[in-house]
Amino acid sequence: MSILIKDVSKKFGNFKALDNVTLEVPDGDLLALLGPSGSGKTTLLRIIAGLEVADSGTVLYQDEDITHHSARDRKVGFVFQHYALFRHMTVAENIGYGLKVRKTPKAQIRERVEELLKLIRLDGFGTRYPGQLSGGQRQRVALARALAAQPRVLLLDEPFGALDAKVRQELRQWLRRLHEDIHVTSIFVTHDQEEAFEVADRVVVMNEGKIEQVGSPDDVYEHPATPFVYKFLGNVNLFHGRIDNGKAYINQSETEHVVFVRPHLLDIDRAPNGGDHFRAKIKHINSAGPLVKVEAITEWGALIRVEIPQDRFRSLHLLKDETVFVIPRDVRVFEKRRIA
Amino acid sequence: MSTEAVVKPYAVAVMMRRHAQEDPAWVRWSLTLFALGVVGLLVVVPVVNIFAEALSEGLRAYWNNLFADPDTRQSIFLTLTVVPIALVANIIFGLAAAWAIARFNFPGRTLLTALIDLPFSVSPVVAGLMFVLIFGLQGYFGPFLRRDGYSVMPYLISILGVALFILLFVLFRPTNRQRRQAFWKYPWLSVLVGSGAVFSLLLFAQQYFQVWPRNQSLKIIFATPGLILATAFVTFPFVARELIPVMEAVGADEELAAVSLGANGWQMFWHVTVPNIKWGLVYGVILCNARAIGEFGAVYVVSGHIAGKTDTMPLRIEKLFQEYNLPGSFAVASLLTLVAIFTLIAKAKLERKIPSTATIPEPTISEFQP
Repeated sequence: MSILIKDVSKKFGNFKALDNVTLEVPDGDLLALLGPSGSGKTTLLRIIAGLEVADSGTVLYQDEDITHHSARDRKVGFVFQHYALFRHMTVAENIGYGLKVRKTPKAQIRERVEELLKLIRLDGFGTRYPGQLSGGQRQRVALARALAAQPRVLLLDEPFGALDAKVRQELRQWLRRLHEDIHVTSIFVTHDQEEAFEVADRVVVMNEGKIEQVGSPDDVYEHPATPFVYKFLGNVNLFHGRIDNGKAYINQSETEHVVFVRPHLLDIDRAPNGGDHFRAKIKHINSAGPLVKVEAITEWGALIRVEIPQDRFRSLHLLKDETVFVIPRDVRVFEKRRIA
Repeated sequence: MSTEAVVKPYAVAVMMRRHAQEDPAWVRWSLTLFALGVVGLLVVVPVVNIFAEALSEGLRAYWNNLFADPDTRQSIFLTLTVVPIALVANIIFGLAAAWAIARFNFPGRTLLTALIDLPFSVSPVVAGLMFVLIFGLQGYFGPFLRRDGYSVMPYLISILGVALFILLFVLFRPTNRQRRQAFWKYPWLSVLVGSGAVFSLLLFAQQYFQVWPRNQSLKIIFATPGLILATAFVTFPFVARELIPVMEAVGADEELAAVSLGANGWQMFWHVTVPNIKWGLVYGVILCNARAIGEFGAVYVVSGHIAGKTDTMPLRIEKLFQEYNLPGSFAVASLLTLVAIFTLIAKAKLERKIPSTATIPEPTISEFQP
């Protein structure tokens, strides 16, 4: 089931949660809504689910205008951040609830519940209560409950937000595989770009109620459309400068441009090597992990972060308070007026 | 180095910490004794005394004091009539108010929250006087009620019928859009036309069959309706105030989950809301019940003390006491005390089960093991 969101706006009091958002989700897609808190991603998800009503705009499933349909008519599976399992019902009753209220025969419900319990690898847990399960197990039950009535779309609100790192990792891969198996159009909300990139086919980056960029994880990471996306998707060094003849000059007096460089796209060397470079004095070295993180002060007094591989670090024998040459390998230039 | 040498300084440290945190023994003992003494003198002795006095002439006399005197019997019966009606009214009102306050943000929400507490802050006597002022003979509606009071009843019943009709319409509107045809399709029109039909039909039926007497005085003050009104007014914060924090602690997510899974309002309410708030509701009802049974001030003003007619149990106790019938008044008092003791036990048992904002207890394993 494809989803089309057209010119949707939503205000909470004076706060613009969504500002004229248009988005198309093709059938069978696994899409991530990525953004900082307050960017409107959860509001958008809840409007798609019918748990919130848009002030203006339309929502279409396939060709059906469902803007004014209530949540129960939309046949969506919604997974809440804190699971929202019915605490007084067993796992099996939770999963079968959507079928029960839709008056499915009992035998059929039992069959479907068994099938789903197998799918979420919790067979034998049907008679337990949510309180007797771990966080990861509860989230899987919530997912099974959402899937039980064969929803047209699956919507997940920060599905792994309340879980610890290891369980989160497992569940991400599991969700990815599950989507490959059942192929229902799915949208999930997250503020963790790693999670979005790992799970989703396509990523929608949102900020302040607007969509900044839509694209595949590679696309979004390699070709960020706006300064916000560039900054949001990882650490960044920022230089002021201007463009002249296709070349960026940094540390200039007239600066109508901003130059972004990711720490791992800066290299350090003892010699200028003939390329573009500037000088910096090393202030701090953190060599734990696969990348060595170096903090340095440039000639004009700005703090920059550089990440170089371990072997490169070892062959250079860098020391604190040493002055070295910093060589940018790839930069991204934005006009200054685009940065709010 | 031996193990002992390691353990010893640690043990000393623990002992020293305990000493540092605790008050001297004489302070602890005297405070405990003082508290126990006050509770014993002010609570335990009088309660025991009630039963001692009530039973002082033996069990047979106790029984006769309660049920042989027709006026006392009538007062017990009246309390058993007034309290359940006031309770039901407060359960309905409390659920509606708690739902509105905990789930929606609307203009006047703060005002409503404050108004719910009004009966707590107003003296019951003032509450009673208020009803006398409205419905009493010299009150606003007094002359009218005296002339032809029952003439409002057909309208009142019809309005209740319309409310019921609207409720049923909302609850049983089909979930599936395709099945919403004809009658269900245009909610505003259907409700408007349907309400009109229900109203006029009920009104006509009541007039035609002459259900209500004409040109007769409808007594509210110095009669049972006034007692019910006063009792309901004084006790109405209990259910609502107990439910609001419970509903806020439980949150709306489970209800929304039920709706997104296809439940209609009726199903959501009975499958999700009620199980989640039931202990809070029971708790509120028990407190409300205790207060309603014991209510004296407001009821005193509106009842007019017509022996055998408008005396509830607390009023009867007072009257027996004034008549120097001590065993009689203590016998009735012992019944109220029994209700109080039961309420205390139930309250203590329930308090654990109610979700609070601090922690939302999820059912523990032991609770569900058969």
